[in-house]
Amino acid sequence: MPRISLKMVGASGQGINSIGAMIAKGLKRSGYCVFGYREYPSLIKGGHASYQLDISNQRFRSTETKVNVLVALNHHGLELNMEELKQGGIVVHVTPGWQFPEHDRKLIAERNLRIIYFPVDDILNRLGARAILSNVLLTGFVWSMLGEDIDALKSLVGETFAKKKALLELNMRCLDEGYCFVDPEQGKISVALPPPDKGFAADLLITGSQAMGLGAIHAGVRLYAGYPMTPSSPLLSFIAGLENKTHMVVKQAEDEITAAQLVSGAMFMGTRALTATSGVGFDLMSETLSLNAMIENPTVFVLAQRPGPATGLPTWTAQGGLLQAANCSAGEFTRCVISVSNSQDAFDLMPVAFNLAERYQISVIVLTDKQIAEALYTQQPYDLEKAEIDRGRLVADPEKLKALKSSDRFSPHAEGGVSLRWLPGSDAATYCAQADEHNSMGAVDESGVNTKVQMEKRLRKFHGLKAELPAPHLSIGGRSAKTADWMDSGDEIELLAIGWGSTGDVFQDIMCSDELRGRKIAYLHYTYLWPLRTEELRRVAMRSKRIVLVEQNYQGQLGMLIRMECGLDIWDKILKYDGRPFFYDELLSSVLERCADTAENRENPRDVEFADSSS
Amino acid sequence: MNIALQTHPLAPSEYYSETKCTWCDGCGNYGIWTAVKYALAELNLHPWQVCLCYDVGCNGNGSDKIGGYRFHGLHGRVIPFAAGAKLANMNIPVIAFGGDGGTFSEGVGHLVHGLRSNYPITFVLHNNANYGLTTGQASSLTWQDQPMNTSPNGIPEQTLASMDFIFSLKPTFVARGFSGDIKLMTRILKAAIQHRGFAFVDMLQACPSYNHFATHEYLLDRYFDANAGGHDPSNLEQAKALATQVQDRIACGILYQREDIPDFYNRLLPRQGLQTTCVKEVRRYDVSEYWKDLV
Repeated sequence: MPRISLKMVGASGQGINSIGAMIAKGLKRSGYCVFGYREYPSLIKGGHASYQLDISNQRFRSTETKVNVLVALNHHGLELNMEELKQGGIVVHVTPGWQFPEHDRKLIAERNLRIIYFPVDDILNRLGARAILSNVLLTGFVWSMLGEDIDALKSLVGETFAKKKALLELNMRCLDEGYCFVDPEQGKISVALPPPDKGFAADLLITGSQAMGLGAIHAGVRLYAGYPMTPSSPLLSFIAGLENKTHMVVKQAEDEITAAQLVSGAMFMGTRALTATSGVGFDLMSETLSLNAMIENPTVFVLAQRPGPATGLPTWTAQGGLLQAANCSAGEFTRCVISVSNSQDAFDLMPVAFNLAERYQISVIVLTDKQIAEALYTQQPYDLEKAEIDRGRLVADPEKLKALKSSDRFSPHAEGGVSLRWLPGSDAATYCAQADEHNSMGAVDESGVNTKVQMEKRLRKFHGLKAELPAPHLSIGGRSAKTADWMDSGDEIELLAIGWGSTGDVFQDIMCSDELRGRKIAYLHYTYLWPLRTEELRRVAMRSKRIVLVEQNYQGQLGMLIRMECGLDIWDKILKYDGRPFFYDELLSSVLERCADTAENRENPRDVEFADSSS
Repeated sequence: MNIALQTHPLAPSEYYSETKCTWCDGCGNYGIWTAVKYALAELNLHPWQVCLCYDVGCNGNGSDKIGGYRFHGLHGRVIPFAAGAKLANMNIPVIAFGGDGGTFSEGVGHLVHGLRSNYPITFVLHNNANYGLTTGQASSLTWQDQPMNTSPNGIPEQTLASMDFIFSLKPTFVARGFSGDIKLMTRILKAAIQHRGFAFVDMLQACPSYNHFATHEYLLDRYFDANAGGHDPSNLEQAKALATQVQDRIACGILYQREDIPDFYNRLLPRQGLQTTCVKEVRRYDVSEYWKDLV
């Protein structure tokens, strides 16, 4: 698969994001799949930030560590990012009279790099334009290097400034100037893109946060409460930005505890409500999670992960929240933990999460991470007919309401532990949603007999939930496969990788690489993480020569849950815990190393080991 | 709030519960509990038409001793839960109850923002100036130097001036009742439930087991109905003075009220003109209009 990568670097606030976003949209409309990845420090102005666009004419969703083009908006990029250039790469910079140090000169010669000085200040002065327009100049220049049509870019910029005519004219002049610029030393330079595929033109360019926000609105969420914390804040901003169109109630709460309680109150009353937070913010919400378990109040929490402990790396990514989501909070109760993986299921899983919450009257924690929340995806428009709104055992019919008894609400005899639920305001017998241990109508009851049956009622839901949750997704050689089909006809698997969340797309991409295409490499992707299904894993593991866990945390948290649930100890792990996502080339080389290893040890494969386990 | 017209007034007995009361002899909760039932019945509200939310404490132990759709939650958190419930369905009167322990310590932030947001709910403070259910520890409203459980030498902290604090937050409704006067409490509660914003009701109550300073007799001797004496609740300065000056006599009644300030919900532009509630609006939405800009 042809891949081109383009990286804008500069200080936060210099406008690298606007260049990135404009180029991304222009290329997408021209028929390219783009994937945008942002790195930035936790500050508003200054620091060193980047916006990378990976581009192809085939669908993919990953970032490379090496780039074809580096655009440096200040000299820090020339100091920090030169190593990232590929052979024959291009550096565009705006620093007058920059002298590369010796080691960089060597690098430039070895990799045959071309260095272009773009005299942004001279051009701005000549046009009488302010410094802010340097982005537009550079956008025009990059666009010309990509060999794309200037009119397409102009119409795109025109949409942005449609209502500001004076600004529009100056922007158009800057685009023209940038587009026409030719470096006197290097001459006309172009970056060869593969032939476009017009199929991408109608796609959306969307972040995971936007996808999740649209999914939540689609799922019937009518109240959103949140407290700002990266990387959950973009979801709050997106939902708030649409409030005049959706007519939703949006509340920026005074803290995460409040946000969780507001949402719980709203769900208790009977609407669909959502909150999102990260790391320590979720710690504050965890008492409310326990509360909802006791009062059997359906709720959905989004936990957007970033590296911890504490405030950790606010603007970077991690998958360190799995055990937190699966285990935090007081008491034993049934909960469901699911993880989105990209812009597709960030949308699709929101109705699913609410349906699960209402069907089982439990809390569902939806994991995402900074990478998914802020990456820019080329996304096919969503199917709006697929999702159902399933409100579980909610009673609304007036006749049925009349027949209810208070003791139906928390009846310990309810099938699967899921009792009838009806809403305040219903003309029916009333009940108490009681945080103390209670009897079937919600009156406090501390007797041993009652405590036992109510505990069993609430935890009985676990079994139904576990049986209903979809199996992890298996793909072999980059193609979807059913475990059963594979077991019937398949060969031994060379390498089985297991992962979840944003890791999945990167693994999917490397399975389609020239190096691995056609190999018997399998990838088992977990979306439903708790309760954890392990039947499929056990079956595939038995037929795999080598198994590796791929996670973005230190301990291999999914591996810990797998061992806990089925005794399979995955000793080989590809773990990353430096705040960065898996990069395409990096993960590919980790996997290739293991494949080479497997080939060498073909005579004596390591047996799959299961520790003693009753499950 | 919408209260249905009804020809026959509703009896407080509609709110009967089979659960036995477990409060101490002489507890002020008996009086407040009775007044709540009277107020709801006199407003012609059936139990199925109301949502009663209880914080943790002896007040919360009343959650299963009354009819209505009820919630009994975590310590200090009742205000945001009740607010969320109300915002989801504006047709249901929502009353939150909390003690002085949970309200002025663990949940004091929620109180601040509840008032500031002017949520359209009623908040009833069960004020017995100590943590009763955890056996008599000092709260922020316990008198300074008063020996209490866990503070045998008396608490070193200042007593929080609760009414100065409340008035600093620009409330729209402040009332004070006394657990020994059910008629007064009923009048206050009815007005509070009908108020359009956040109604703060301070119910002074006896705690015979642990409060040996502001006892039933102490309160009985000092309380008076300020409205009967001609106090006009629209007079902010007089209201503040009555609310905060409690050394000799304790003014009760509706101390302050203004209805010209929109509540939180009515300030939400996206909800203007809508007749439906968030509860009624749950369905699958077509979101394609919102992604047009992303193509």
